Amino acid sequence: MQNNKLKLNFNISLNKPMKRNLPALIVFLSLLIISCQSEPTNLNRVIIGIDEDVQSFNPMFSFSVNEGRISELLYLSLVKHSWDNKISDLRTEFMLAENIIWSEDSSSITINLRRNVSWSDGKPVTSEDVVFSFDAYSHPKVNSKFFGLFDNFILDSDNHIDISKSFEIMSENKIIIHFKNNSIPSYFDIDMPIIPKHMFEGIDYSDFETADINSNPVTNGPYKLTRWNKNSLIELTLNRNSFLAADNSIDKILFKIIPDYNSQLIQLENEEIDFIDKVKPDDAHKLNETDKNIIIKSVVGREYDYVGWSNIDIEKFEQKKIEPNIFFGNINVRKALTHAINRNEILNEFLYGYGSLASTPVAPIFENAIKKSIEPYQYNPELAKLILAEEGWTDTDFNGIIEKDNVEFKFDLFIPAGNPRRDFAATVIKNNLKAVGIDVSIKSLELGQFIDNLYDRKMNAWMAAWYIPIPIELSVYWHSNFEQAPLNFQSYQNENVDRIITEFNNESDEQNKINLLKEFQKIIHNEEPVTFLYWVDNIVAYNSRIKNIDVNPLGAIHACWDWSLVK
Amino acid sequence: MKNNIYAKILKRFFSSLLTIFLIITFIFILVRISPGDPTQKYISPELSPQLKESVAESFNLNEPLPLQYLSFVINLAKGDFGISYNHRMPVLKVIWEFLPFTLIFAAIVFIFQILVSLFLAIYSVKNINGFVDKLLNKLAILFYVTPVFVAGLFLVLIFSVQLNLFPSSGLSSFNSYDQSFLNKLIDYAHHLFLPLITLSLGGIAIFYKYLRDNIVNVMQEPFVLNLHANGYSNKKIFFKHILPNAVNPLISIAGIELGLLLSGTLITEVIFSLPGFGRLMIDSIMLRDYPLVVGCSFIASVAVVFSNLAADLIKFKIDKRMIQEING
Repeated sequence: MQNNKLKLNFNISLNKPMKRNLPALIVFLSLLIISCQSEPTNLNRVIIGIDEDVQSFNPMFSFSVNEGRISELLYLSLVKHSWDNKISDLRTEFMLAENIIWSEDSSSITINLRRNVSWSDGKPVTSEDVVFSFDAYSHPKVNSKFFGLFDNFILDSDNHIDISKSFEIMSENKIIIHFKNNSIPSYFDIDMPIIPKHMFEGIDYSDFETADINSNPVTNGPYKLTRWNKNSLIELTLNRNSFLAADNSIDKILFKIIPDYNSQLIQLENEEIDFIDKVKPDDAHKLNETDKNIIIKSVVGREYDYVGWSNIDIEKFEQKKIEPNIFFGNINVRKALTHAINRNEILNEFLYGYGSLASTPVAPIFENAIKKSIEPYQYNPELAKLILAEEGWTDTDFNGIIEKDNVEFKFDLFIPAGNPRRDFAATVIKNNLKAVGIDVSIKSLELGQFIDNLYDRKMNAWMAAWYIPIPIELSVYWHSNFEQAPLNFQSYQNENVDRIITEFNNESDEQNKINLLKEFQKIIHNEEPVTFLYWVDNIVAYNSRIKNIDVNPLGAIHACWDWSLVK
Repeated sequence: MKNNIYAKILKRFFSSLLTIFLIITFIFILVRISPGDPTQKYISPELSPQLKESVAESFNLNEPLPLQYLSFVINLAKGDFGISYNHRMPVLKVIWEFLPFTLIFAAIVFIFQILVSLFLAIYSVKNINGFVDKLLNKLAILFYVTPVFVAGLFLVLIFSVQLNLFPSSGLSSFNSYDQSFLNKLIDYAHHLFLPLITLSLGGIAIFYKYLRDNIVNVMQEPFVLNLHANGYSNKKIFFKHILPNAVNPLISIAGIELGLLLSGTLITEVIFSLPGFGRLMIDSIMLRDYPLVVGCSFIASVAVVFSNLAADLIKFKIDKRMIQEING
């Protein structure tokens, strides 16, 4: 009643013209904005959705995946490694090098550079640039991502390449590289992007990291940087002068930064972007069924999930003692745990078949190196119970948890937070292990803390993944010397494996390397240091107007100068 | 009398500076004692283990914490926040690349929130207890409790996916850079329409509720009846007497809201892929980019502390009773 009275007394009105015009103005503005035409999709360009921006276009600081992808399009290496499906391994192609001649004893190589390659500022690429690049990459003040990777070169006391002993400039386009005595050099030693010496002259090595040239690069690759709107867009334009550019190469490759995965999907469906990778299996499944303009491709990935079991006692390890872990120090117990986990359930229900069971850390992409006689341990909870009982783990007090020497088989399984796949898998594992009498508590940790705990060996059990390098690297994961193997979080130790790793690293014959790998797989499978869960496929989704996309273990954007568009 | 006011303001200013210094000191220590290591990204099977050591040394991470803090304070006195580990450039330069967008966007959102809520509050009071008033009240509660990410995704679903009227992300079209100024402006508006609505809804709801209820309360004060009895026009009473009194309690809330907007609008920036300060701040935390975390915290605390200070100053200006309080 009182309010009604107020209403009568205070019949406030806005200025009449304003009142009349405001809604009209809003409608007009909205129509004006909406009338903006949407972005045309038929241009000779492709937009790739990526989740984070790059920080540098300098290949020596391209630490992230996206930085690596983009710098590969901007800079040429002397040689390039591509994936060859026929041999299931890498194939070497000459890029900046026109040809390479090895000395008879493989202690040096003579490189003739292509004569028709220039920097984006018009200056020619010369032998000086090659020498400067290796000098900068190996310099301890630079903090380049290649630092410390020049074991086959002649080094000085700072691990810096001894330039005067290693390089001989014969002419502007001819150079000889001398390698260290008794080393086993390969094309991988020279697969590094070449950077322009003239742009870095006068800059102190310690200032390379913060130099302006890193965000405004002078390049020699098939694409050049034409725009960088930080945290929004990176535009690369085809370098028509590049020997890699074909008539039907795409003019512009744009990288649009879209941090939210769901927004990436929406924009792909909306044709605001043309390409994304790391598509989740359930989304791939849906897109495959609903959107005919989107092509889904997957390749057996380089990433495998595993459950890590600390093979050693983590409390004793703090006191610098190595003793077997009370639960996981026993090979048979670890095998029983693998038998108890239904890995197929996770593969089918979460990965929708975009993956395959893992048995060893050697990826199925290396078909020749796979030891085919190794069969994955089958899901068999009864067999798991039997093995555990044989090892003395039985439920004597009938509380549902097995025990041995008055110690119940219960532990925390740590997973990094914010990963739905791990959440799902951890729940399956917890339930599976419960069924054989093992009590598991799932503990989710912030990623930084999780990684800290891994390095400090503070966890008995965890779930993580490895993205394996190409070519195969074993030492850092599996060697018994923890300093040599900083990623051997499970603290696995085996003298035979150490021997294989040493021989593998010193072997140059491919067939011998394959034989060693097979021997390695046999031991790892027999000892099951961790439970290998599954290899996860790399799924990409792209608009059907793009052709010639080769989805391979190195990724799909690896050589996008070969892509073309449907006319 | 004026001296008292200036002294009060000066005192408040210096206490604000002290607050900010304590905040960044706290953040400096907190990020360093928290788990995680800025050199983690330098550990990979494809990188040499020597690189991590070399990087840690170049970041001065091997020095004891008190020494690190001492050099931080000395550098801070020179206005130097250090070099961002991740962006590899001075922290203030990095922040300056991201801050303008957030400043402009926050200002637009703030003005939009104030104007729309004022318009709706007056409209509601005018039609008090009517259908529109009741509807607005219900909607205000709904919008207030709706999380920003839900509102954002819902708007994207309707206006981008279903109706295809607005782009779902980005600040501008990829080809807008060679267009005319007007077209660029329209392009920005086209892209920012959904983020603007998403970010404004919560603020509009809270401002509207406060304004509407305050106006209704003030209208019931005896002095309003008195003014009315003295023959003042409705319009004059409302705009000169009711509205300033109704707005007064809102100023503090508006100050906090503006501070929060300026310190980053993270969720909206992530959903709509906008290059703002909020994303920079979160990225710096996730990557353990210590100098950048401290730099961002400094800017965020300046925004919050000084928005509140500004709100208090505006209250001083509007409400004469506060000046009387100072003067005893």
